[in-house]
Amino acid sequence: MEEDDMRQLSAEELGALCSNLQKACTKQLRSEEAALFAVLASYYDKQRTTKADCDYNALLDAINKDLSEGFKDASKAAEDANDRGAKRALVWGEKASKLLQALMMRYEKQGSALLENTNVWVCEICGFVYVGDTPPSVCPICKVPSFKIHPIQKEAV
Amino acid sequence: MHAARTISLCTKDCVCLFVCPTGATDTENGQIDFTKCLDGCRLCVDACPSHAIYLVPATYPVPQEKSEAVRKSLLALANSKADQERLARSLAEASDDPVFRQLMDAVATSNHILAEDCYREAGYILPQSEVVRSWLRSLLSEHEKDEDFPSDAVTTLLEKL
Repeated sequence: MEEDDMRQLSAEELGALCSNLQKACTKQLRSEEAALFAVLASYYDKQRTTKADCDYNALLDAINKDLSEGFKDASKAAEDANDRGAKRALVWGEKASKLLQALMMRYEKQGSALLENTNVWVCEICGFVYVGDTPPSVCPICKVPSFKIHPIQKEAV
Repeated sequence: MHAARTISLCTKDCVCLFVCPTGATDTENGQIDFTKCLDGCRLCVDACPSHAIYLVPATYPVPQEKSEAVRKSLLALANSKADQERLARSLAEASDDPVFRQLMDAVATSNHILAEDCYREAGYILPQSEVVRSWLRSLLSEHEKDEDFPSDAVTTLLEKL
């Protein structure tokens, strides 16, 4: 990473970069290196700060902005460079973001009833989100089998 | 290159036990013993009826170059997704409604995965690559005087990768 990009990275960004590399080590069956990236990721986890006075609409606006600008800009760059790997990430990411947008809009209408007697699931590969009792047998976005789609638990507060 | 077993695919036909010349495939934890496995042998890979065994490379090629425009736009998206993760986590923490917290946890988790994927395609795909190594080195110098920073972990990573 260029030095200039570096200084601007937040704890969340560095955490995602580390967990990505941790997963890559796991895929190479390098468990020691994966554990070391996990140590680094947990350091950044502790550096996280919560954002005061944030509201639901700011989050929805940010998702909408990605859909109207971020994905379009990046897709143009990927198209120009004929970078099919980047295109793949953008196709998946845009679909997952549209589902996040729809999920948040549904919650605005339905409130707690949305998840009252059911669950919400996230695909560990592509970020696909699903509300229901059991997830689809393959992820509709990345086509991974459903054992990689995990329920998000309702925690007691 | 050593053999590894995908345990969820293994149908326990045990042909790998018959063909392995060193006994590396026969272990109590279901994984292949790398210390016994012969480099590039692949007898078990070809013999396995359930295609549950594959070879793990010891070295990897240099990843594909990324254009500056692709790199920049993916890093910008990763920034946005990481920020949304932070917003969702903050909203979850500020609420005492279990359903809302669950929903925000899901949004945060999804955004974290989306940010990871942006980094992967922005060039940070291979832990052994020079971009990752130079980033790790820059972390060490940046945190030289930071006692909480896991410098030992980063130093060990640079040695092992």
